[in-house]
Amino acid sequence: MSALLSARGLTRHFGGINAVEAVDLDLAPGIITALVGPNGAGKTTLFNLITGHLAADAGVVELFGQKITGHAPHRIARMGLARSFQDLRLFARMSVRDNVLAATEPVSWFWQPGGVRAARERAARGAQALERTGLAPLARAEAADLAYAERKFLSLARILASGARIWLLDEPASGLDPASRARFTALLRAAVADGVTICLIEHNLDIVIELADRIVFLDQGRKLAEGAPESVLGDPRLAAIYFGERA
Amino acid sequence: MTAYLLNLAQLAAIFGLLSVSLNILIGYGGIFSVAHAVFFGLGAYAGAHVALDLFPDLLLAALASALIAGLLSAALALPALRVRGEYFVIASLGLQMLATTVFTEAQAITGGLGGLVGIPPPTLFGFTLADPLVFLFCCLAFLALALALVRQLMRGSFGRALMALRDSEMAAEALGKNVALIKTLAVVLGTAFAGIAGALFAFQEEFVNVESFTLDQSVLILAMVIIGGAGTLSGPLIGTLLLLLLPAALTFIPFIPPTDIGAVQQLIYGFAMTLLMIFRPAGLAGRAMGRR
Amino acid sequence: MLILQLLVSGIEAGALYALTAAGFALIFGATRIFHFAHGATYALAGYAFVLATRLGWAWPAGVGLALVVAIAFGLLLEAAVYRPIQRHHGAFFTVFVAAFGVVIVVQSLIELSFGRAFIAISSPLTRAHEVLPGLYIARVFWLALATAGVVFAVLGAFLARTRAGIGLRALAENPDLLRAFGLSSRRLSALAFALGSALAVPGAVLGAMTTGLSPGVGAHVMLISLAASVMGGIGSLRGAALAGLLLGIVENLVVAGLDTQWSEAAGFVALFAFILFRPRGIFGAALVR
Repeated sequence: MSALLSARGLTRHFGGINAVEAVDLDLAPGIITALVGPNGAGKTTLFNLITGHLAADAGVVELFGQKITGHAPHRIARMGLARSFQDLRLFARMSVRDNVLAATEPVSWFWQPGGVRAARERAARGAQALERTGLAPLARAEAADLAYAERKFLSLARILASGARIWLLDEPASGLDPASRARFTALLRAAVADGVTICLIEHNLDIVIELADRIVFLDQGRKLAEGAPESVLGDPRLAAIYFGERA
Repeated sequence: MTAYLLNLAQLAAIFGLLSVSLNILIGYGGIFSVAHAVFFGLGAYAGAHVALDLFPDLLLAALASALIAGLLSAALALPALRVRGEYFVIASLGLQMLATTVFTEAQAITGGLGGLVGIPPPTLFGFTLADPLVFLFCCLAFLALALALVRQLMRGSFGRALMALRDSEMAAEALGKNVALIKTLAVVLGTAFAGIAGALFAFQEEFVNVESFTLDQSVLILAMVIIGGAGTLSGPLIGTLLLLLLPAALTFIPFIPPTDIGAVQQLIYGFAMTLLMIFRPAGLAGRAMGRR
Repeated sequence: MLILQLLVSGIEAGALYALTAAGFALIFGATRIFHFAHGATYALAGYAFVLATRLGWAWPAGVGLALVVAIAFGLLLEAAVYRPIQRHHGAFFTVFVAAFGVVIVVQSLIELSFGRAFIAISSPLTRAHEVLPGLYIARVFWLALATAGVVFAVLGAFLARTRAGIGLRALAENPDLLRAFGLSSRRLSALAFALGSALAVPGAVLGAMTTGLSPGVGAHVMLISLAASVMGGIGSLRGAALAGLLLGIVENLVVAGLDTQWSEAAGFVALFAFILFRPRGIFGAALVR
């Protein structure tokens, strides 16, 4: 099957540093792809290039077969691409429910189309996202008041509610306690079972092994390897780069 | 005494409208403008001209003022909102200084320092509103309209989108929000109400000149919103009442010479702004710190 | 000759703007704080000099007092206003409003103690001499140029050679480097405020003699510093200095064609143009989101 999202030759320089250098990335439908690599490998920059938050110096991105290079981030998002942020970027001074509802509302105008019926449908979608992430009891709390794990779940709830078919997740499960982590990975698996395609950045190799169907290994802005988890993680050369940097 | 109180109440309603309108930008949108008096002024000049050159219908003047302030702000906001918030503040400061000069120099339109004089009392559906009490109710009606609109909008999807980009522009974009459009709509809405406040002000004072539309005025409106509590419904009203009653209260303190009242007033609200930002940045009506 | 005469006053004003704006840029570069109350520092220094003159002090004592007042005020703000705010959340707008409050407080205090009128100190330095037919230059012009030249030379040497100076530059470019250097960022940020505030003094003192002071001067200086910093490229010292100089010249040259009312406005038209078309300024990179 062809990829839902494919990037060709994506390149971005900051000053003299090659943050991302001629990277190709294909996200095949219905699987979890993990971006792995040491700090500064260009993983988050790659996300920013795909979502339009950063302009690429070179390269093309296609989403559902349509070229999206140079499109504004909100246009790309509306096509069904959602992302999370390493620092979460919740809407801190809004309630948990409003954080999620905001994700269900597609139109940036004074009102949404579709009248009461559409509003009810959106509310149901939001409530379901809160239900699935276990945040329903906290719906009225302000996002800034949530505990760390709850905040991580809220950032996932926003994405769930958005109805996006492709998720780019930046270290979604890092720092979670084992119980929360198990709940979190189960949610991701359930989403994939529903047909969502996920690409995630993860430092914790246990999580990668647990979740990923495919691994893309980046170092210093370049793609060094790509393939099944066992083959990539089993490569001693890559392990040296990965652990050498982190030690 | 009654005349004095009525006058004060009218001013409170007009400035309440101003601070509620600025709150849309600052409190809900996180769009910091120190040029709100510019749009207040545009509205006042527009309202004054409608009254002087056409006929002094309150609704017509309010409509013209809202249109002129809103449209001009859209023209200014569209390019200026592309830049980061820090630059926007600086740009708005520059706009305020520039506008003060333009208001002073464009004598054909603004009357310069002499201003526009002899604005007739407003009419509504053909009736002259000579009674100050009736005019007060008109001002309060506009204030109530603005409050109701803000309340409705901020509970709905537009308010959610606006507050979302205030809290994180990047996350709002990533969820499909057209940040530039939302900000522009918020600016147009806020400045349109500032324009209406200007028209009311012109009728209330029967006279407008540039003195009322300077940086000091912009800062006063800003202080009302911040001290009361940006991003809350009641905050701007609380701030407006406090800062309008302050000079009135100061006149009762015997040892302050009348000429110094302005400076003492500024001293107090300057201190209030700084201290609040250190100890209670959400303002009086906002939530206290330390809960998070 | 008019143009030349205006150019001379433009360079004089610009040299002083350059120093003040460089102070603002130095503070921003090292601390990432938009020091909106920098204009208040300028106003306080200027009025301190006025006070010293009125008390009959000699000018070096007056300059000394202005320096002490400026530096103390800068340090006070850093410790009592900016640092507490940054400790709990440090949102840009919170800092902005707090600093704006300080500007208002300083302005009203000056109004209460010195009155609202313009104050200028008469000095033999400002007496103009005809150097060319129709071109008058006062000694203060050369003094402004010399001061700017000397101060920038010393500042440049300090930033390039000394440990603390290198630390300040590192703070601007890469705070992580600092820890490797073993320098405390808290002490460096205090140093940045002290130095940056001191840079407002020459403009304030010479400004008190030439253009005069009024309680609102702080707002004007704040705007000039902001404008110069944006036009020069935020955080870039030499950019701010160059843009400050240009702003002074533009403000004065505009008078050749338009009313004096427009001289301030001209600077802001230039500022708008930069914000819209080249937000990264002459030098320096745009702030990254």
